[in-house]
This record gives sequence, structure tokens and C-alpha cells, in this order.
Amino acid sequence: MSLSSVVMYLLVCALAPLLPGIATRTKSLLTGRRGSPVWQLYADLAKLFRKGAVYSRTTTLVFRAAPVVLIATSLLAAGLLPLDGRSALLAFPGDLVGFAGLLALGRFALVLAGLDTGSSFEGMGASREVMVATFAEPALFLGFVVLALATGRMSLEEMLGVPLASVWSGSAPSLVLAAASFFMVLLAETSRVPVDDPATHLELTMIHEVMILDHSGPDLGLILLAGSLKLALFGTLVTSALVPRGGMAPFSSGLVLIAGLVVIAVGVGMVESVMARLRMNRLPQFLVAASALAGLAVILELQRP
Amino acid sequence: MSPLGLGVALILLGGVMPLIFRRRPRLGGLGFQAGLFGGGALGLYWAGSSLASSGPLAADPLSAWFVLLILAVGVPASGYGVRYLASERGHGSRAGAHGLFAVLLVALVGVATATSVGSFLIAWEVMAVSAYLLVIFECDKVESRRAGLVYLIVTHVSTLALILMFSIWSGAAPNASFAALGAAAPHLGPRLPWVLWLSLIGFCIKAGAVPVHFWLPGAHAAAPSHVSAMMSGVMIKTGIYGLLRTAQLLGVVPPWWGWLLVLLGVASGLLGVLWALAQHDLKRLLAYHSVENIGIILIGVGTGALGVSYGRPSVALLGFAGALLHTLNHGLFKSLLFLGAGVVSRAAGTLAIDRLGGLARSAPRTAAAFLLGSAAISGLPPLNGFVSEWVVARGLLTAAGGQASPRGAVVVIAGLGLIGGLAVACFTKVNGTIFLGHPRDGAVRYGPDPEPGMLAPMLALAAACVLLGALPMLGVVPATKVAELVSGYPDSGVVGSGIEGVTRLAIGVLALGIIGWAFSRWLVRRQSVAEAATWACGAVGLTARAQYTASSYADPLLTAVGPATGLRIVRQPRALSTHPTDVVLDGIARPIWNRVLSLGSRARMLQTGRLRWYLLYVVLTVSALLVYLGTKVRQP
Amino acid sequence: MIAPIHDLLLLLVILTNFWVLGTTRLSATVRATAIQGLLLGLLPVALHPGWTAHTIGLAVGTIVVKAIVLPAFLLWATREAAVRREVEPLVGFSASLMLGAVAVALAFAIATRLALPDVPTRLLVPVALATVMVGLLVLTTRSKALSQVVGYLILENGIYVFGLSQAERVPFLVEVGVLLDIFVGVFIMGIVVFHINREFDSLDSARLTELKD
Repeated sequence: MSLSSVVMYLLVCALAPLLPGIATRTKSLLTGRRGSPVWQLYADLAKLFRKGAVYSRTTTLVFRAAPVVLIATSLLAAGLLPLDGRSALLAFPGDLVGFAGLLALGRFALVLAGLDTGSSFEGMGASREVMVATFAEPALFLGFVVLALATGRMSLEEMLGVPLASVWSGSAPSLVLAAASFFMVLLAETSRVPVDDPATHLELTMIHEVMILDHSGPDLGLILLAGSLKLALFGTLVTSALVPRGGMAPFSSGLVLIAGLVVIAVGVGMVESVMARLRMNRLPQFLVAASALAGLAVILELQRP
Repeated sequence: MSPLGLGVALILLGGVMPLIFRRRPRLGGLGFQAGLFGGGALGLYWAGSSLASSGPLAADPLSAWFVLLILAVGVPASGYGVRYLASERGHGSRAGAHGLFAVLLVALVGVATATSVGSFLIAWEVMAVSAYLLVIFECDKVESRRAGLVYLIVTHVSTLALILMFSIWSGAAPNASFAALGAAAPHLGPRLPWVLWLSLIGFCIKAGAVPVHFWLPGAHAAAPSHVSAMMSGVMIKTGIYGLLRTAQLLGVVPPWWGWLLVLLGVASGLLGVLWALAQHDLKRLLAYHSVENIGIILIGVGTGALGVSYGRPSVALLGFAGALLHTLNHGLFKSLLFLGAGVVSRAAGTLAIDRLGGLARSAPRTAAAFLLGSAAISGLPPLNGFVSEWVVARGLLTAAGGQASPRGAVVVIAGLGLIGGLAVACFTKVNGTIFLGHPRDGAVRYGPDPEPGMLAPMLALAAACVLLGALPMLGVVPATKVAELVSGYPDSGVVGSGIEGVTRLAIGVLALGIIGWAFSRWLVRRQSVAEAATWACGAVGLTARAQYTASSYADPLLTAVGPATGLRIVRQPRALSTHPTDVVLDGIARPIWNRVLSLGSRARMLQTGRLRWYLLYVVLTVSALLVYLGTKVRQP
Repeated sequence: MIAPIHDLLLLLVILTNFWVLGTTRLSATVRATAIQGLLLGLLPVALHPGWTAHTIGLAVGTIVVKAIVLPAFLLWATREAAVRREVEPLVGFSASLMLGAVAVALAFAIATRLALPDVPTRLLVPVALATVMVGLLVLTTRSKALSQVVGYLILENGIYVFGLSQAERVPFLVEVGVLLDIFVGVFIMGIVVFHINREFDSLDSARLTELKD
């Protein structure tokens, strides 16, 4: 842990809500509309946090606790990444399992909250969400394996930090593939086109949105905030695999990360404006393809003399 | 007399109590509990001190670790069992079941502490037979008897393999003590592959690894809940104990053994959890999860064996330590879940997940304990399942760090990730449909939490899961000691490195959770909190039947995975159901068994009942023998 | 140092293989093979950056044939025969992707054991093998005749890459042979395509079994 990592952590957490706004704005501009301002999510959050909550009579404590678990795990997971390119707030060997475990814990809570309402719609959303997340899991881990093989290290801090910078050029092809795979996982985990459509209007076609249908007020705000954080988390993975920041000064490294996150948000918006979402039964195929990309990168790394 | 001997005697004494006080079951139950608690405490004390001092065989850390597991699960399960069986009517003798439970416990301890082939095999058989008798406790049910029969046949195949293995192995040793077997290991020569294969067959059958898992779901589902907890949580681990003991005695194993174990582990893990996802009978589902967790343990054992084969101490230590830790952890949370399943079955009168719902309302404490166990088995931080999976994963990552084999084993980590994801899917299904939402079947009744005597063991197991998750060194430090013994390498602090990170992670989750909870309640309380019906997207009059069931919840995943796992998904206009067929049991074992039966009935033609035919058989046999001897003699 | 350009090209070849396996649209598979053809055309230039007439000729020829003429021909056939746009695989897309990944792993495993002399770059042989295997996979698991032409083209591309690995030892011959092979293959398949189309108004090669007496 260093001062720059703390500063970057606070900065990324504070700026994360901009990312969905940038993606939406990009999509609007590309489809010839003006769109909402990029800081829309801040306004939404301010509004939601000022509101009261409506709870279904069917729900239990699980429903109320889920948004808190989700935001807590997302915040902690961000602490495991070397946001300043050198050090993370918390790093230990094998912490990539912790990263995946934290995200899984958040999902576990939110999915149970969906089932807690006893609504058929939210059950449907929950069911689809776990399917997508399950298929995303091997792709994420294979991406981590690429990083582990390239650097020979075991913590995310090192796998994405200084050691990566020194080996990056030797393993460029496989790291690019891993970044592509991470990006596909990002689209799936943050419920974006072509996996899920945040702007869809029919409950039957939703995944994430329909699962959180009953959450309102501050609870919904926390879920939205966690969603934007997740975008920042996976965006950091993609950026770090593509642009090694280990050798840069903290300031420029932070600047590169933020620029990378913005570029990724724009990319998400571009994907959204040129692609239709996939049919539900095509989703596993999309994520298997992500695994295949990362798997190819693993093979390349294993072959590297 | 050592504390363990005394403890075993006390446990046996406790087991006899219900039989003596047949007429006064309360007193019998009390005596049983006193014996088991006292004996268990003594045994645990022994295990703790043996782990600390690493004594000779029979009191070495490996034995002590498994005694720890056996008693840590056995004692709470017995306490639960006394109350649980007290309400059971119309099945086998309750007193007998208690007695058998004590015998099973002692036999398990015997397996873990045996120092020679003879005592090991005797304990092994006593364990198998007492477990069989407990499986058919509800012998008025056809499926219990059938499951018992399958179990009895398969477990004896396992014993047969072990007898063969030990006789081949001890052929190279002066006597049949484990110490002599260990000393003879370098001189096994061509016998080594036999020993390795037979140990794999014998111990993997007992552990319930794919493809020899098929006896497990039926048997574990048929037994009373506290016995299921014992079988799934502890008994199958004797297979793991056997593999580890074999690896320890052999010293160096060839690489293929480790690779095969890793492969079996991945297959068991993935198929086990997929089959569980398709199961909608709670106890069968939990039993399939045992197959999954055995898979994770086998990945660890295999990684450790690879580390030994390729001379990579840290890989070996991490692999074995992870496997050992997961053995203990799985014992804790799986028995918790099985005890919870017993409560569900008593409270609602059924284990069919598709009919349940909303049980958290009437039995909140059970729901909370079950939820915690579910999170632990899914490998989520900050609970104990996460710690052991973390250690196994680090073993694989360490393998990737070097330049030589077994570098490629790191790919298995993706398998671990997929297993974890599927486990989350399965346990959200279980908790969501049993405890949350509305009851799906109006005919199902909803009972309250059980009496404290049944609740306390569950809460104790849940507390152990939290403790070992938040303070992982409690488990990792002794497990490392055992791993040192099994691998033969001294630990240079590799296994424990980063452990404080896991603790910080756990503290972080708890702290942020509490702060977040306070924050969100503060935000909500500032404004109005309203209660309403669940929003049904404008539809009115949706009934509880419209809820997602376990079948429909699991459908997208199962459809995506397809028929590869032997699942049949039936879509009807008003209902959807998934039908798991066990690929191995229904596809291979049953047809072979039926073939054997039909051959047998054909062989019955020989049984004519007429004397002259039998005389003919005698003549034929004698002449065949003579011909055989003639050919033998002619050869110089 | 950054990986040399030819290794990147070979990597992209593998990715186009995955693309063919994973996409649901027939036209997309044709486009993927076109891009693969383009990559293959650039490969000899990247491998022998001497700008000799031979390499440039080979590159231009390959690009014209593999990246322009054949794909255009195939797309035209798709339109002309009014083939439905879906691929209709016999094995699911996810499964074929996984099989493709297995094929790549296998190719790398075999290539390390196969010690060929004078191979210009480490990736050449495994990529060739992987491409051949993916071609075979497409040939065997896709039911439409047009998909099979695509599979055959990929198979040929694999052989082409393999030929490049031995170009130093057997100049010219490989290239010409391969190019001719493609012509012959597509010619034959094209005839088959139109024949079936005319006879049964379908391009489903599963129906070829009905041709028996």
C-alpha cells in the first residue's frame, strides 16, 4: 500500500459512476441523439439516496442486506487491484481467487434477493444472471492464468503491476488475447450488449434489470453504484493487460488508467450501437468464445520458451 | 491408556446406553450423549496434542487430523441424532441406530489410526457394514433397501481392491505393518503400478469420485440426516485418508498418478455440481455436492502428488495442505447442511425442493445456518470453504511459476472457477426455493425451528465455518504440519504466506458490510419505509405457483450444458421438469448388473436337481483337472 | 521485444478459425475465410521481407484468390441459391468452439514433438495443424454444402501454411500445387452445390445420401 494507491483507489471509486454515463452518451451520439449528460448516474444516485424504500411483504432480511453485500464486495475487490500500476491496497499470493470470490459473494446475495421477492420475473432474472456469471467464471480465471504464466507471480498486484511491465513485450500476443477475453467478460458481468441490454423495455427480455426490479430508493442506488464500480474493475483488468503501467510514474500511470477506462466505456457504447443483443441461448457461446480466446493465450504462454 | 483409547471406550459405552435403557429412551439418550461428548472431547484433546507433537505412526499428524475431523463432525451429529431419531416412528430400532452410530464412529477412528494392514482392513469393514445398517434404518422404504444394496456391493468391491493392493504390497515387505510397507516402498519394482492402480480404485470408490460415485447419492439420501452428515462429511474422507497414507508410505509416486488424480478431481467436481444442479431432492442434491467437493479435494491431492513427482516442494505442500484443509472444511459445512436438511424434512414433511418455499419465515435460525453453510460450500469469502480453495489454487499457481512440469496444471484453476460458479448457482437455487419466496405447494405444512438440542449442533458447526474462514491460520497451520508429513518436505513458510491477507479480506468484508448496513439503514430510515406486495410488472393475481421453481431456475444453465451430463429436460405447457439420470449408474452399472442377473438365471438351467447330472459335473470337473495336471506334468 | 509481425498474423489466423466456428451466419463464415486468405497472403511477405518478385507474386496471387475471388464466388452462390443464412451445425456452437480450442491445444502438443527442419518461426507448424484440424471439424460438423466448401477452404489454408514452413526447401511447387488444389476443390464443390440445388432445391449435404439407387 502506498499513498498513490490510496489516492487512485478513492479517485476510481469516485469517478466510476461516470463510466455508464460515458457509454450511454457514446451510444446516443452514434445513433444521432443527444442523450443524457455523462454525470447522469450521479444525479440518479443523489435522487435515490434521498428517497425512502418500499419493501415487498414477501421479503426477508436477505433482500435488505443484498445491496450492502454487493457494494461492500465491489469496494473490496477494487482494493485488490493495483490501480496506480504498482501496488494494491490489499495484496497476497493467490488473491485473484479472492477477487473472483468477492464478486461471487456479491452475486450470491443479489440473486438470493431476487428470489426473496417470490416474483416470477425476478426469479427469471436471477436464473439468467447466474447462468451468465457461471459461464464467465472460467474465462476470467483463464485470463488470470495467462497473467500468472507471463509474470510467474501469484498476486494481482504483481500480475498487473511492475513484473508485468518487464515481461509485457515478450508476451504481447497472449496478453492482448487475454485483454480481449477480459473485455468480453466485462460485457457479460456488467450486463451490457450483446449479453444484456440495460435499455431494454420488456421485462421478459431482461437479465440484470429484472432481477433488481423490487429494489428501490437507497438500495437501488447502492446496486447501481456497485454496477458502475464493476465496470471500473473489469475496465482496469483490460487496461492493465493492454498497457503495462508498472514502469510509469504514479501520476502518469493514474492518468493512463483513467484514460483507459474512458476508452473502454466508449468502446462499450460503440459495441452497444453496432451490435444487437444475442439470443438467450447464444449467451453461453459468447462466453465460451471468451474462454477460448483466453485458452489460446494460455497455450501460447505455455509454449513460450 | 491414552486419551484416545479412553475416549473410544467412552464412545462405545455411550453407544450401549440406549440399548440398556430401552424402556427409558430419555435416559438412554442422555447416556448416549454423555458418552459421545465425553469420548469425543477426550479424542479431540488427543488429536490436538498429537498434531502439536507429531508422534509416531498411529499418533502422527495425518492420523490425528482425520481423528479431529471424525470427532468434530461426529459429536455434534450425535447430539442432533438423539433428538432427531426421538421423533421418528415406525422405522428400525432407535436404540440400535444409536449403538451403530457409536460403532461407526469408533470404526472411523480405527481406520484413521490403524498401524497395520490387518487392523486397517478390519476397521474398514466394520465401518462399511455399520454404515450399511444405518443406511437401511428406514428399511420399510424400497429405495432405502435398494440404495443399501448398491452401497454394500460397491463398498465390497472397494475392500476387495484394497485387500489385493495390500497383499501385493506386503509381498515385498517382511510383515504387514504400515512401517514395513513404507520401508519396502523403494523395492516394489514392477508391483508399484499395481499398488497405485488398486489404491486408486479402492480409495476412489470409497471417496465417491466420478466415475465410481454412483453408490453415493442413493445411500447418503436414504440414511437418517445425522448419519448422512457423518457419511458425506466424514466417511467418504477415509478414501482421501487412504490416498494420502499411500502417497506418504510410497514416498515418491510417478507423475501419471498425480495427473490422473487431478483429472478425476476435475471430472468429479464439474459433473458432481452439474448433477446436483439438476437434483430437486434436497438430500440427493447435497450428496452430489459431496462428489463435487471430493473433486476439489482430489485436485489438491493430485497437485500435491505432482509436486512430489516433479520435486517441487512448495507445490506438494500447498496441494496436500489444501486437500487436507478442504477435507476438514467440507466435513463441517456439509454436515451442517445435512443437519439442516433434516430440519427441513421434519418442518415441511418433504425434501422435494420444487414444493417448498418461504421456510425462512417459520424457521429463521435454521434458514440462517443453512445459508451460511451454503455460502461456505460455494467457496465464498470470508468462510472456510474459500480458504481451502484458495490454498489449492495457490498450489496450482505455484506450479505455473516454475519453468518445468507440472506447469500446465495451472489450467485446472479455470475448472475450480467453473465449479465455484456452478456451486453458487446451485446453492442460490436451494436457498431461494426452500427458504425464500412463497410456499410453492399449499399442501406443505411449515414447522418452526427445532428444539435447542437440534439447533445447537448446527450453530456450532456454523460457528466453526466462520472461525476457520476469518482466522484461517487455525486450520492452515496444523494442515501444513500434516502436509509436511505426507509430502516429506519441510515447510519453509510457503503455505502460510499471505494468510494474513485472507484474514484482512475477511475483516474487510465484515467491516464494510457492517458500515454499509448502518449507512443503508440510515438512508432508508430518514425517509419513509413502506410495505407492499411484490411488484409483478402490472399483472394482478399472480399466485405462488407462478414463482420460479428449482427446475425452471436451473433450466438455462442445464440447457446450455446440454445432454452431455445425462440430464433430461421435459417441457410441458404447464410445467417444466428436469430429470437427472446418473450416467454411470443408469447407463453402465445397472445394465451390467442386469446382464449378470440374466446370466445367473441362465446358469440356473444347470441346477436340474437330478443326481446323475451332478455326478456328470463331478466327472467332468475331475477329468478336466486330470487333463490340466497331465499337461503340467509333461512340461519339464 | 514485441512479437514479430508474422507471429501476430499467425495468431490472427487462429482467431479467424475460432470466428468461423463460433458464428451463426453463413456469410460471416465466408467473410472470416476471406480475412484468413488476406492474412495468408501477407504471411510470405512478413516471413521473407526481401520484396522479391516471387514473394510479392505469391502474396498478390493468394490475396486475389483466397481473399477476393473465392469469397465473392461463395457469397454470390449463397445469394444465387437463396440459402438460408444460418449455419445449422450438427454440433452446437459452444461445443464446436471448445472442440476448436482442444484442436489448437492438440496442434501445439503435436508440433512440439514434430521436429521439422528449417521452420522459419515457431508458430508456423502448430498454426498449420490447428487450421487443418478446424477445417476438418467444419467439414464434418456442418450440414450445409456451402459450409463444407468453407471447411474445405480452411483445410486448404492450413496446408498452405504448412507449405510455407517448408518453402525454403521446396520452392514454388507447394504454392502452385496448393493454389491449383483450391481451384479444383472449389470447382468440384461448386458443381455439387449447383447440382444439389437444381435437383432437390436444397443445399443440405445430409440429403446427398438420397442419391443412392
